[in-house]
Amino acid sequence: MSLDLARLLSQVDQLGAETAQRQVERAAALPKAQAALHQAAGLDPSAIQQRIERAGDRWRGASPGSEAWQISLPAPPLPPRWHAIGADGSQVYPDRHAAAQFCLVNVGSLCLTHGSGEAPVASSRPRLLFRQDELTTTQGEAVDAALVNGMRDVAEMTELADLAERFPAEPTLALLDNGLLLWLALQEFERRAPEVDALLKHYLGQMDRLRRTQAALAGVIDRPRGTNLLRLVELCMLPPEQVNPESARLRRFPNLVDRDLLETLLPPGHRSAMFQVVSPLNAAFEARGHGVHFFYLNTGYDGQIARVEVPAWVAEDADRLSCVHAGILEECRLTGIPYVLVRAHELAVVTQHDRSALESLIAGALLRQGIEPRISQKSTTKRWTASRRRHRL
Amino acid sequence: MTEKRTVIGRVTRCSIRGFVGGIRLRQPDLPVFGGWCQAPAQGGETAVVGLIYDISIEDDELARQLAAADAPSPEQQADSQLNRPIPIELQALTVGYRRAGTWVQALPPQPPITLAEITGLEPAEVRAFTQRLDFLPLALSTAEVPADQVVAAALRQAAEARPRDERRPFLLQAGQECARWLGQDLGRLERLLRDLQAGGEA
Repeated sequence: MSLDLARLLSQVDQLGAETAQRQVERAAALPKAQAALHQAAGLDPSAIQQRIERAGDRWRGASPGSEAWQISLPAPPLPPRWHAIGADGSQVYPDRHAAAQFCLVNVGSLCLTHGSGEAPVASSRPRLLFRQDELTTTQGEAVDAALVNGMRDVAEMTELADLAERFPAEPTLALLDNGLLLWLALQEFERRAPEVDALLKHYLGQMDRLRRTQAALAGVIDRPRGTNLLRLVELCMLPPEQVNPESARLRRFPNLVDRDLLETLLPPGHRSAMFQVVSPLNAAFEARGHGVHFFYLNTGYDGQIARVEVPAWVAEDADRLSCVHAGILEECRLTGIPYVLVRAHELAVVTQHDRSALESLIAGALLRQGIEPRISQKSTTKRWTASRRRHRL
Repeated sequence: MTEKRTVIGRVTRCSIRGFVGGIRLRQPDLPVFGGWCQAPAQGGETAVVGLIYDISIEDDELARQLAAADAPSPEQQADSQLNRPIPIELQALTVGYRRAGTWVQALPPQPPITLAEITGLEPAEVRAFTQRLDFLPLALSTAEVPADQVVAAALRQAAEARPRDERRPFLLQAGQECARWLGQDLGRLERLLRDLQAGGEA
């Protein structure tokens, strides 16, 4: 081990003190934020909408729906038989030091029919990308980690759509373990490279397929750090005439997240009111009928609060929304986050061991073509120094 | 043909005398005690033949969580029992190798290398390898493994790999060979023969 822990001791102590200080600050800020939430909830909806419009395009808050902000709703009943589908992806990024240029996207999924007594269907679908047009953008640049992540996210949504189409008329909960807004597009929305546009189009196309089934699509975010609701509350604290893009960006409760605000409001199994994400990317989703809404849910497992994102066609459909609420609770009962997502992750993950085996296969394929598989000198030296020391004291 | 074999492990550590493999397998695919396996060595020039003498299931946090829960659903139980790959480690005792289609019952020139695929031997290969039983002294003399039980289990499987009418004669011949090597230790020999007899009666 080359990490000098002794040198870190004082920094670790400072980290502990800093964390404790933040907790004190959060505890002090929370009652004020809750009071502000209560006050904002009583404002006239048109006055709130006016503030949101004045906040400008760069404001990343939430727009309230028709439900009272502080409402806490218990779970509806589930049908005796329903399907839960989870998909998760893993990847190997391109490595210019490797013997051959490639990247890998692996999607794992589990399709479990509650009430059937049958073993679920598990699947793992790896895809190796190695062709020139797969590894370079239309501008001739090498595909980077962000684009690979985008491909993975599209593959996850595609897997969900493929599975949901097997049950076109049956209650089906289709889960991802992240938000629904394509992260790549969120990061690169303004650059709007053709590759990002193509991936976004494909992603939304898969959501179209899901909408045509009876599936209730949802993204589950464990230990969420989202602040959309808090930003809305902060915005509502400003007098309408003082709201502008600059004032809207000022944070009044920088140490808090939405989860803190709702923790005491939600008993186990209850969900919060529904809100809509405000962002230019969500406007693009909205234009296709997939505007992303969210609520917070006490999963009933150790008091944990999860953020659940759903498209408009789930938020506005009572049956699908019930399936999301009650289905996630049932799925979380044993594992804290949905069981199908736990298993999908297990089926997707590419371990270091898997990666080494894949590299061995690739080396063999190169040798059969008469090519000596050579990694870069930098990679070679890293292996020298990373290998276990043979002589121990 | 090699592509069709089920991989039952990948070598994680090895020596001339044996190899250890780790992998995640579903329960129906788990190897068995005394099973015949092989792993490539010397760049594929040789295939080292081993007898599985230990199979251990590594700790699995998710299974533990489900086991401790009040009531896993029938679907989750079925998932764990039929679908979930079980993290296993198997240990094999080297008893020979194959080079250029010829079986050799002696320690190999080199061990397999890390991550080499461990696969089971096909019944025809088991029959071919056990045409001779010269590997017995090598296996029976191995310390720190349950050598007698492994040999008995392996011989029973070799008998199973043969047509029904050849099984008993094979086990009788195997028992006689074991008696040659364990004649000085009658207690040990008796236990091994009882194990073999159980296979012959099955």
